[in-house]
Amino acid sequence: MKQEIYRFNCFVENRPGVLARIVGLISGRGYNIQALNVGPTEDGTVSKMKIDVLCSDESVVEQIKHQLLNQVNVIEVTSRKR
Amino acid sequence: MRTGAQALVDSLVKAGTEVLFGYPGGAVLDIFNCLPESPMKFILGRHEQGCAHMADGYARATGRPGVCLVTSGPGATNVVTGLATANIDGVPMVVITGQVGLSLIGTDAFQEADTSGITRAITKHNFLVHSADEIPEIVAQAFYIATHGKPGPVVIDIPKNCQQALTAAEYPERVSLRAYHPEHAPNPNDLAKFARLVNEAKRPVIYAGGGVITSGAAADLAALARKAEIPVATTLMGLGSFDEHDNLSLRMAGMHGTAAANWAIHKADCIIALGVRFSDRVTGNIKLYAPEAKIIHVDCDPSSINKNVKVELGICADIKDVLTTVGSRIKRNTHPEWLAEIAKWKKSRPMSYKPMHEGVIMPQAVIEAVDKATHGEALVVTDVGQHQMWAAQYFRHNTPRNFLSSGGMGTMGFGIPAAIGAGLAQPGKKVVCFVGDGGAQMTFEEVVCAVEHKVPATFIIINNNCLGMVRQWQQLFYKQRYAGSILSVRGRLEMEHLEQDLDYDYLPDFMLLAKAHGAEAYRVIDPAKLDDTIAKAIDSGKTSVVEVIVEPRANVYPMIPGGKPVTEMIFE
Repeated sequence: MKQEIYRFNCFVENRPGVLARIVGLISGRGYNIQALNVGPTEDGTVSKMKIDVLCSDESVVEQIKHQLLNQVNVIEVTSRKR
Repeated sequence: MRTGAQALVDSLVKAGTEVLFGYPGGAVLDIFNCLPESPMKFILGRHEQGCAHMADGYARATGRPGVCLVTSGPGATNVVTGLATANIDGVPMVVITGQVGLSLIGTDAFQEADTSGITRAITKHNFLVHSADEIPEIVAQAFYIATHGKPGPVVIDIPKNCQQALTAAEYPERVSLRAYHPEHAPNPNDLAKFARLVNEAKRPVIYAGGGVITSGAAADLAALARKAEIPVATTLMGLGSFDEHDNLSLRMAGMHGTAAANWAIHKADCIIALGVRFSDRVTGNIKLYAPEAKIIHVDCDPSSINKNVKVELGICADIKDVLTTVGSRIKRNTHPEWLAEIAKWKKSRPMSYKPMHEGVIMPQAVIEAVDKATHGEALVVTDVGQHQMWAAQYFRHNTPRNFLSSGGMGTMGFGIPAAIGAGLAQPGKKVVCFVGDGGAQMTFEEVVCAVEHKVPATFIIINNNCLGMVRQWQQLFYKQRYAGSILSVRGRLEMEHLEQDLDYDYLPDFMLLAKAHGAEAYRVIDPAKLDDTIAKAIDSGKTSVVEVIVEPRANVYPMIPGGKPVTEMIFE
């Protein structure tokens, strides 16, 4: 199946364990993370994660987005095709 | 000022905890030291897995969070199965685990395990406490998270030094979570579309799951079904959300569901799916599922919509909110032709079984005997396997929270402790636990808890000498090669037609086991004595174990083999 890279931009609470939770959620469901970048925002209590994931179609992207948003520490998620 | 441990116990009480299940150990001694003065009733399980399933059963029977307290390391790893079981079925729980002191974390200290790492994927959320000052706030947040949105288990891992440190922190008046806002109001346009799809449908089916029970929407569901004359199928988790004595009931759908429920879904032009997640055990081959239907899916979990099946209309909101708001827009309606077609299926393929050998009890008859003895009012708890499916099929479910079963995880060993938790939660109820001879050997130790706390539960062991569901699959799909599925030598002799003298009759002897645990013990072999013995055990008001020796070759039918469509349903 043809796969394409999607970029997920996540704003999350800056707390211990949040990165592990996000990465675990994506990798635990069998998706391979192509690139990952985490850094602070101007608001020091919020971090921004840029995660590139290989996805087969838009419904997978929607799934990942919903599951990320279900996480207690995730504030906002957007996604786009790279 | 008070210790972190005292702050924890006080916070649990503030959060509404009445019963605390648990098991002590080195890393939680400070917390246990605060329990004698606490108003919470403490239930000492005999294995941490049992404690977790008891808290789970308590939560399923009431809708309130089950609370469990265990130590670090092995205490925490032993609750892992209980957490996964509650997580997939959306059961609210708060589990406190002890942890080694903060300065020892990462040093391979005695009884140290990375509890937050281990439990991350099988809980709704988890917390690692860093200071005693955080404890009241975290407890409040944990209860909020466990009970809002799709419920689930939350772990609070508390290092020993945080339990001992002093704190002035108070339990918060209200919970504020910056990023977690799981309550969604239904969109008015969606509700209008909901009503239009239902009003236009010629062959509608309501398909109700555990979410209906969680939302407390059973009465609203019945009102919708009756007003628009729509038949109702349920999932395993949805049993009890609609009275199966009702003519509109199709009973359970799925792999072992009724022919009428599965065919109705297959032929429907509109499916109103409420609080379900379209599990593979229900849909079979997803590509051929409900080919003619426009599907409306209402669920509080946005990630469950369009996950397994594509739907015409997805509404992420509370089911009760949706049904009460949309109710007035639903037309009073009748579907005589559709119901007549369904009646034909009900008549041609009823749930039925035939005796296989003279004088041998059929396992389905055991379920019917309990329905009869309790007039359908038992709180039924099951373990996992063939007996679980028979309990779903042959008991006429009629009330929410009266059928408790490990649906998603399929956890053997769940039944006995969950029944004890349910019995403690609903003292007036007749709790009947169906368990196989396999599952009974996994968590039998908890029977002493039932005896100790005078829980009048009846544990019915449906003994077929084997792991029946595994044996059934081996018979049907693995050329009758019964590897690892025959539990006793007696069963093995029978299955493999061997002859050998045995110097024991039963292994284990469940009667001796039951008596050793302080329970009343009954064994039934003769079909003529089944009804009386079951009625006697249930009416005794004592903790009792009834072992019923049943036909070992009985299979669960109907069955749609995994990954196959409805059209390939097999009946015998």
